[in-house]
Amino acid sequence: MSQFFTAILIIILGGSISLVLARQVRLMRIIAVFLLSAGCFWGLFNALTNLIQSGSDTASFTYLNVFSLTFQMDGLSSFFLVAIFAVSLFAAIYSFHYLEDSQNPLRTAVHYFFFSILIASMALVVTAANMITFMLSWEIMSLSSFFLVIYNHHSAENRKAGFLYFVFSHVGAMFIFAAFGIAYGYSGNFGFGAMASLPDTAKMLIFIFTFIGFGSKAGVFPFHVWLPYAHPAAPSHISAVMSGVMIKTGIYGIIRIYALLDFHTPVCGNILIIAGAVSGVLGVVYALGQHDIKRLLAYHSVENIGIILMGLGIGMTGVSSGNPLMAILGFSGGLLHVLNHSIFKSLLFMGAGMVVHKTGTRSIDALGGLIKNMKITGTTFIIGSLAICGLPPFNGFVSEFFIYIGGFKGVALDKSAFVMSILAIISLAIIGGLALACFTKVVGVVFQGEPRTKAAENVDEKGSSMLVSMVILAAACIVIGIFPRIFIHLSLNAVSALGLGYARVPLAPFERITGNITFGATIFLGVLLLVMAIRFLAYRGKSISRSGTWGCGFTQPTVRMQYTGSSYAASILELFSPVAPLEEKHLKIKGRFPVKTQYQSHVNDIADRHLNRLIVNPVLSLFDKLRWIQHGDIHLYIGYILLAIVLLLFFI
Amino acid sequence: MIDSIILWFLAILTAPFFSAMILKVKAFFGGKKGPPLMINYYTLIKLFKKGSVYSTSTTVIFKLGPIISLGSAITVLMFLPIAGYPPIFSFNGDIIFVLYVMGLGRFFTIAAAMDTASPFEGMGAAREAYFPIICEATMFMILIFFYRLTGHLQLSAYFTGESPLALWNLAGAPLLFIVMAFFIILLTENSRVPVDDPATHLELTMIHEVMVLDHSGPDLALIELGSFCKLFFYSTLISRLILPFGSSVPGGTFVVYIAGLALVYLIVGIIESVIARYRMDKVPQFVLTSFALAFFATIITLEFIK
Repeated sequence: MSQFFTAILIIILGGSISLVLARQVRLMRIIAVFLLSAGCFWGLFNALTNLIQSGSDTASFTYLNVFSLTFQMDGLSSFFLVAIFAVSLFAAIYSFHYLEDSQNPLRTAVHYFFFSILIASMALVVTAANMITFMLSWEIMSLSSFFLVIYNHHSAENRKAGFLYFVFSHVGAMFIFAAFGIAYGYSGNFGFGAMASLPDTAKMLIFIFTFIGFGSKAGVFPFHVWLPYAHPAAPSHISAVMSGVMIKTGIYGIIRIYALLDFHTPVCGNILIIAGAVSGVLGVVYALGQHDIKRLLAYHSVENIGIILMGLGIGMTGVSSGNPLMAILGFSGGLLHVLNHSIFKSLLFMGAGMVVHKTGTRSIDALGGLIKNMKITGTTFIIGSLAICGLPPFNGFVSEFFIYIGGFKGVALDKSAFVMSILAIISLAIIGGLALACFTKVVGVVFQGEPRTKAAENVDEKGSSMLVSMVILAAACIVIGIFPRIFIHLSLNAVSALGLGYARVPLAPFERITGNITFGATIFLGVLLLVMAIRFLAYRGKSISRSGTWGCGFTQPTVRMQYTGSSYAASILELFSPVAPLEEKHLKIKGRFPVKTQYQSHVNDIADRHLNRLIVNPVLSLFDKLRWIQHGDIHLYIGYILLAIVLLLFFI
Repeated sequence: MIDSIILWFLAILTAPFFSAMILKVKAFFGGKKGPPLMINYYTLIKLFKKGSVYSTSTTVIFKLGPIISLGSAITVLMFLPIAGYPPIFSFNGDIIFVLYVMGLGRFFTIAAAMDTASPFEGMGAAREAYFPIICEATMFMILIFFYRLTGHLQLSAYFTGESPLALWNLAGAPLLFIVMAFFIILLTENSRVPVDDPATHLELTMIHEVMVLDHSGPDLALIELGSFCKLFFYSTLISRLILPFGSSVPGGTFVVYIAGLALVYLIVGIIESVIARYRMDKVPQFVLTSFALAFFATIITLEFIK
């Protein structure tokens, strides 16, 4: 583990040095980016070797002689470390040019400091081996990412987003504290190992509490409310890290607790599949209704978390119904989707960041035709879109294929598992279709057609570090999509660390599946080459001319007549109007020749709305009545603390 | 293997011919003589001889659209058991691969339409993105049904040799529902009446036709060929289900299959002649019917067929 801690130290060093060098902006950026990426690279290398050898390593530090800080790096930790370090590596490289024209050097320096802390704390979260260590890393992670969300704190909107994120991450943490408290209450031990011996009712309670706590970090519906506010507020490479890997620590928590509890009732699988199906479908429906490109991507994270949960849920159902093949298919598919999503989502956020950086607007309907001037950004964004839609031959397809096959194994089972499998399969199918609609909207409206406003005209895509990161991530999407064998090995190694009681995970059936995927992709690419050859022959020596788009008889088209993203999504949203009510505002048309009018539409998130109505407002009115407790006298505050401790002593 | 490749090749070659049958049927109902049965070949040859005009708004994606949509249609046919023969390629889960390859084709058809900056093509693209969402859900429901009956997840397990007949013997009544659901999917995915009218004259009311307005010459020919192949794919599935019989006479199975295929195209033609296209907002209800049918069929198998 010493190599792991070296990597962490290099990363934190990079962040700390940038604070010292805040005055020399360029030097600071060079050193910070170099050290961050060097640390991430070292950590990535170390995690990969550990994962391939399926090694396990522990380290323990005694902190002030009361609590020991224990770290363990097994297959599951290494798998998540690979995703964390890989995405952070490219995000750090991307940030070099992204923060180029930052007006405030000190703010950039502080940002690098918190960025390094975030990477380090995420790595510590997935290696923590007892409750104290875990919660300590967890809180550092939440706090450092909070400071990154309010990077641009001059805008009131961003401050509100930061506050919302703060509240959600702490309410979530309270649930995790409660769950750990129950575990400690029964076992009297802070170690994770003791959880397996708890009584079943305690296990159930712990599973549900941690599911809520980790779910609010992961963005599971209805605890996802902070996500579409916080992700757009942060700088784009931070959104990439938050959406790509930070929310996955929630997934890590769920699956780690499941493994530790060793609790194989069907209820766990059912909870995950239902939550996954709801998050998946609603996430993509809300995404479809967004006008802000980064908010749209944030909602897609909710969707993909849903897919991951369904994969894990199928795995748990497989375990509880004694079907090892289904269990491993579900778990390995879900885990591979963690890696895949971290790759394509960070790619998409980086592409969106480039667009926002160069055009200065996040509004989808104000853009258009960007691919003509932003060839690399456009192409990589399309590759990311194809991957997130789960289309072959890209990486999203591989993990969804595994989850499908696992789901179909459940179709042959008895009633509850059968119903859950149907739910998962049909949700996946609907999510696939909706994601396709959503990303054809983004690609079509933002990158294709003609520029709709001045902002989208005459853009460029300068910034080599940004382009390099996007190209490498896009290449990874294709490589995993065509040659998934080695990556399935990685996720199988992570699955075997779960200790499901299967002596050895046989590789043959899974290699057959990846072999089939490679085979299918090769055939398809071969056919494409054939069609291209035919097309080439058909066009040899032909006259090719260019002219305006056929306006269906209309001779005075303007760019503002193009179909907008809002109208593109309108009819689909109508089908989902009960769960995604559309709010429209437009002026009444007056007279025979109306001159100017305006139209506004907004898709309401029902979780947002009902949380406000059912929880936020009652809590606010209650606390309003308790306002007299807060009077600003520090002596009395100390009195409160003393009183509380004395009262608590009675219960111990 | 060799006969499978020959059949695959024949499928691509004859797909335009069968599509022309629909035109003939429609002409018959209209009291007209109609175009010759070879009309689609003439059109394709004519298009292949021409050059192209590209809109100044378009990029390379516009040219990729036809290539990928035809490429995906041809790939899909490689996994299709034609006339009861095993397909060229087959693996566990190939049907999922097939559905997603079709999705890839759809992505690029839509992207090519959005590339032109035309409001009409955008409108068509939005509808093309919408209806298949429900179709995909139905297809997976049908797969669940088949999986429940056969325990396999590949097309060859459902449609090769005697397997369709075995399916009828096993679950005849629910299979009727499945055939109907398949038919609705066929009409939707291939933009036929009552979902879309390929012969309408107003761009505002089209789905598929409006998306390819700006394509011309060989590019348009590739798209047309792709859509003939796609229709052939669905028709073959239904043909094997409605006439599942084999024959010991050499070539007998093949004749039965062709008869089934002709029957499917005939029904499509008749539907197109006797009913009008639904209003756009009624179409989702029509497509959802297919999901309900497949769902009920599956539920029935759960309780009554062990």
